[in-house]
Amino acid sequence: MSAMADTIHMPAETSAMSTATVRRTDMRSRGEPALWSLGGALAIGIIMILGFLALVFSNGVATFIPKPIIVVTGIDGTVTAGEPFRSELFKPTAEELAALSPEWQARIKDANGYANRTLYRLGNFDIYGEDFRWVPDFAVAKFEQPKNLIFVERAEWGPFVGTVKSFTIDGAEQAFTGLGATAFEKAHADARDRAAAIRKLERGQIGAVNHELEQERLKVRKVEISAGKTSAAYKAAQDNLAEVSVDLQRRYDAATADVTKLREVDARNTLTLAEIGGREKTIPFSALVRAYAANDLSLAQKVGVYFSRWAEFLSDEPREANTEGGVFPAIFGTAAMTLLMVLVVAPFGILTALYLREYAKQGRLVAFVRISVNNLAGVPSIVYGVFGLGFFAYVLGGSIDALFYPERLPNPTFGTGGLLWSALTLSLLTVPVVIVATEEALAAVPRSMREGSLACGASKWQTIRYIVLPRAMPGVMTGIILAMARGAGEVAPLMLVGVVKLAPELPIDGFFPYVHLERSFMHLGFHIFDVGFQSRNAEAGKPMVFVTTVLLIALVTLVNATAIIVRSRLKKRFAGSQF
Amino acid sequence: MTDTTTPAGKRPRRSMKTSTSVIVADKVADWTIRIGGLGVIAAVFGIMLFLALVVVPLFTGASVDGSHTVEKPITGGRPLMDIVDEYKTLSVSVDDAGQVHAFHIKTGTQLDVPAYDFGDKALTAFARTLNGRDIAFGFSDGTLRLATVKVGGAVINTADVPGDLRRLTNEDATDGKAIYTAVSADQTRRVSIDIALGDAQQVAPAGTAIVAADYRMGGAAERPTISFVTVDANGIGRLSRSESKTNMMTGVTTTSLTSSELPGLPQGVTVRTVLMTDKADQVYVVDAGGVVYRYDTRAFDVPQLAETIDLLPGDVTVGAISFLIGEQSLVVAGSDGSVNTFFRLQDGTTKNSDGYVLTRAHEMEKHGSAVVAMDASQRGKMFVTADAKGEIWLRHSTSEQTLLKLKPAEGKPSYHAIALAPRENGVLAVADDGKVYAWDISAPHPETTLKTIFGKVWYEGYPAPGYTWQSSSGTDAFEPKLSLIPLIFGTVKATFYSLLFAIPIALGAAIYTSEFVHPKVRAVVKPTMELMASLPSVVLGFIAALILAPIVETWIAAIFLGFVVIPAGLFFSAYLWQLLPSRIALRYGGLPKFALIFVSLAVFGTLAFLGAPVFETVFFGGDLKAWANGSVGSSVPFTALIAFPFAFTAVYLGSNDIVTRNLGFILRGEDRTRAGVVDFAGWVAMLIIAGVIATAVAFALVGLGIDPRGGVVGTYVQRNTLVVGFAMGFAVIPIIYTISEDALNTVPEHLRAASLACGATPWQTATRVIVPTAMSGIFSAIMVGMGRAVGETMIVVMAAGNTPLMEWNVFNGLRALSANIAVELSEAVRDSTLYRMLFLAALTLFVITFVVNTLAELVRQRFRKRTAQL
Repeated sequence: MSAMADTIHMPAETSAMSTATVRRTDMRSRGEPALWSLGGALAIGIIMILGFLALVFSNGVATFIPKPIIVVTGIDGTVTAGEPFRSELFKPTAEELAALSPEWQARIKDANGYANRTLYRLGNFDIYGEDFRWVPDFAVAKFEQPKNLIFVERAEWGPFVGTVKSFTIDGAEQAFTGLGATAFEKAHADARDRAAAIRKLERGQIGAVNHELEQERLKVRKVEISAGKTSAAYKAAQDNLAEVSVDLQRRYDAATADVTKLREVDARNTLTLAEIGGREKTIPFSALVRAYAANDLSLAQKVGVYFSRWAEFLSDEPREANTEGGVFPAIFGTAAMTLLMVLVVAPFGILTALYLREYAKQGRLVAFVRISVNNLAGVPSIVYGVFGLGFFAYVLGGSIDALFYPERLPNPTFGTGGLLWSALTLSLLTVPVVIVATEEALAAVPRSMREGSLACGASKWQTIRYIVLPRAMPGVMTGIILAMARGAGEVAPLMLVGVVKLAPELPIDGFFPYVHLERSFMHLGFHIFDVGFQSRNAEAGKPMVFVTTVLLIALVTLVNATAIIVRSRLKKRFAGSQF
Repeated sequence: MTDTTTPAGKRPRRSMKTSTSVIVADKVADWTIRIGGLGVIAAVFGIMLFLALVVVPLFTGASVDGSHTVEKPITGGRPLMDIVDEYKTLSVSVDDAGQVHAFHIKTGTQLDVPAYDFGDKALTAFARTLNGRDIAFGFSDGTLRLATVKVGGAVINTADVPGDLRRLTNEDATDGKAIYTAVSADQTRRVSIDIALGDAQQVAPAGTAIVAADYRMGGAAERPTISFVTVDANGIGRLSRSESKTNMMTGVTTTSLTSSELPGLPQGVTVRTVLMTDKADQVYVVDAGGVVYRYDTRAFDVPQLAETIDLLPGDVTVGAISFLIGEQSLVVAGSDGSVNTFFRLQDGTTKNSDGYVLTRAHEMEKHGSAVVAMDASQRGKMFVTADAKGEIWLRHSTSEQTLLKLKPAEGKPSYHAIALAPRENGVLAVADDGKVYAWDISAPHPETTLKTIFGKVWYEGYPAPGYTWQSSSGTDAFEPKLSLIPLIFGTVKATFYSLLFAIPIALGAAIYTSEFVHPKVRAVVKPTMELMASLPSVVLGFIAALILAPIVETWIAAIFLGFVVIPAGLFFSAYLWQLLPSRIALRYGGLPKFALIFVSLAVFGTLAFLGAPVFETVFFGGDLKAWANGSVGSSVPFTALIAFPFAFTAVYLGSNDIVTRNLGFILRGEDRTRAGVVDFAGWVAMLIIAGVIATAVAFALVGLGIDPRGGVVGTYVQRNTLVVGFAMGFAVIPIIYTISEDALNTVPEHLRAASLACGATPWQTATRVIVPTAMSGIFSAIMVGMGRAVGETMIVVMAAGNTPLMEWNVFNGLRALSANIAVELSEAVRDSTLYRMLFLAALTLFVITFVVNTLAELVRQRFRKRTAQL
């Protein structure tokens, strides 16, 4: 109730006044409790976002820190060696409780029936058949951190936790003296070089042979379609294929011979590892990615391991169904797709905004179009994905295939998801962002400037080109960069139009025509989804997902920040030229 | 322009004309911009059009692509059945004399096919499987002979095609035994017929005719088991099984026949048809009047009469009867033109020995005259029925729609047999005068109508009509269940719960930011909240599903307690704050107070965490998940908890006038601390009263049988709506927050100033001046936030469990439209029904968000106009 209403209804008020009490505002009208609720809402919002970022970044940044290996001896004598992964409270079952010592039973009872347990990352999947093991605190007899334990990252089967028994160089067994020993390090470096050489041969020479052979086959098929199987041209093409095949076969044989030779050498350089229980495993040296004595690392070594892991993450290809290794193809795919999208979205967005603001007659129709464009920004991204698949990939791509690539059918070339279609789909999704931003920027250019330019005899285009657009540029750039940020973080539509779990080839490579817009690609956002939800063991992939998440958020934030900086810079640049 | 010529006058005058390049550039720009601009706008509207175009065929039913009549290719006996091969090349019919007539459908050219040699026996019964490949003949002497008709297409090399072919059409040619169709330059399809007749098996006593029979093949290829059921002229039904064993050593095959009698058939019954299901676990004996004797034959040696039911009441006789694919649904057509689908349903109340009752599930459109023939599809629930007036109707059982009504151009043929082509793309009818009528049809999406997509549909084996989404399964006979309602429900549920969480926080935060914090704080706080909007939703989904979901599962009681304790705690802190002397309250009313709010949140959050076990014991019988299942505890405490906020609001509003008049008056005279104490006491009193009321209401509600369990709470699964609500909050809160904060901020400053100058407190100014003025802006913010929640995909894909359930249970998952598209579209075959259904789902989303956003935009524009007027 307002104070005024009170004075009307309450004659007593006057007497209170007359006794000269200080007239205070009614405490209830300050709404203090409600105010605190509103403040609480804001505080919750801030806690949510900061907590979220803290969670993601702490996990993501800490992932690559080498952790100690702890050997847990259970009260039943079982020995578990592994990296402590995470701990949580849980409710032990009645049977578990019954088997415990009275002391533990009392402790758990004090904790309302909860006990703590720790998840250990065991490694050695090929021996144990499990990656992780929960060890409840009450089942532990003792913890140890032996210095001789080594954490080995392998190219296959995930990490190995144990000791190095021995290693052989060129068939000769060597005594293992330590990870830092020159012989060991050299053997490792040689093996990595060999692996790289094998990969180069397979990807480069053998890949080229396969590619050329495929091209020749397609040529023949093309002739067959155009001229028929009985034509002379077909016969000639087939002869040509046979001729070329001989040469290609020779090159292929040569390359495979080299690979075989390297593999033979590789097989003679091995490493024998032993897990904590003594079971041994021999792996080729080239399968060793990284090894370190987890419990015997100096700070410098830790930092070294940490950064070498980051380097691997940013520059390498994924291993182990994407749960290990790097994400370079995903970074590349995300960047390529986003740039391609900008190439499409920028001109069209700006053209539309120019049309709406500078050319179209401002009336009901344009107002309606403007509302629609605004609304399109709110249409769910998945709808664009559906459209992209149905129209771009199936209708447009299908027609392109039928017209230009009939020799490859029924295998689709453009008739399925790919980089181009993804970029186009995302352009549709983000074009409203650019249109709205550009329009606002155009509207902010004073009318007087246009009129001045036109009065000086400049044509409409000259006015736009030299007067309006430069002044609107900060807004336009902001719009484009915001569109990039939106595009880079979007996943749902891409799942339909071309993103894949693992793309064997990058969209840009050394084969003609060098840029392959029809190829499917990897994407950071989809990588998160895939590793987190579709891998063999979600737990094993979790660290990787966190790091990828940090990378994606950093990327999106970076793009957004760029937008802000660009805007302020350009604003400054043009500030002086305002009338 | 000042163009002065030099004194020498030699320099030419500069042209006044605009240079051509400028004009050309201007024109080019003009056209590029116009075309580009209009193009983008057109493209954007093209999206909607394209989605609609893909969706339309779902509702167009079927169409006739062509029809023709073949004159008298069939002569001789009465046709028993007619089958068409997969490519609609050949029609094969078998007549009651054992003759097999095969002819090329397009031209009527006959092929040479050997006849079945029945010897001198008279055919008295005939049975066929759905695809017509396996048939059985029963004879007057009580024997049964099994036979096969294989109409097969095999692709062979063109080089292997015999040379002397007679050309039939451009594509087809024949050598008199098979039809050859060129499929590509070097490949040819050969469609031919292969028939075989088995040995006679004496089933009924010698000399007693078999009047009806049916059989099914079973067992492994090397040990075939043939189950068959026969009824003889004496009305004795027999269930027989013949097993063939091949001795591995000698290679001799021995066949053994075991029989048992079907009990309970009445004396003198005229059996029209017997039917046997696929696994030989059910036998239906149908008499001419439509009475069905259903036998449970799972125990083969002792078949039991499970049910006797008259499917055609009155003196209507059976016109045609057939299983649909899967052999669970039985279509019965009567002499009155009625066509109904029945299937077995488990019924707790029945006295039938196997607990099942044959139930009429679908009543189809009635023919104008008696139904004379029927054929069911081999791939779906489609079938054709022919009536006495010569009409053939194409129907779909589940959707209950009549897709096509076919009628010959002239005459009223009476049909002996009709056939639906295996690919559901043709209908063939054999008339009694030997003429054959053929139609080419296309019915790509017979199972979808507006009613099946948005209404309740009774699927085979389901106890009642319902809304179901289940698009794929392992078995061939599986019928996709495509109702969008569970998905729309999922979307609505996710949106509702996430807005329930997001709106209070977003609006509270917006009002606080706009009205109660210093601009400097606002400059930091607002971008921080907006940062939330730029988080990719895949990240939110991942955190929600893999990090948040297990935490929520472990600490569910603490979270519930937090919903109670944190608001209460904030109120409590506020009342404590009121106890502070005005001097201190004024001095620290800015940032320190905001910091105290954080402290208060931390304190009460910790309290909720610590108090969770006690809370769980008192309210949820010690285990929240077990309680939610309904296995422990009482519903009263929880109902009281839900009722409490409402009770408190009621008490507060109800007492507001009285308290303000009396208490407010007293308070005004007192100093701040003492007034604070009185106010605090008033609050505690209201809490107690509200608590009492809520408890009373809870007892009353639970007493009346209204229980939140089974409603808003129920079985707990890890990826549930609560988690989705939290995660979606991250996506929705910043949107609602930013837009509504902007709306609050654009309320003209003079309104604020005037209100404060009149003596209103900031709180009064905010609630009675600013918020009402900005209301339409706030509404539009909520609408835009809702639009985002409706279309959000990755969060629901990852965190919602994707189970298409229709319950409000906050502890269970959901399957939203968007998630469903993301999960299923990549596996849907282009232009299949599922593909088009997913496009319909996308179109639905498009329309929902477009409407919501347009509404928001219109409201916003109104708001702008209004603020401009102020």
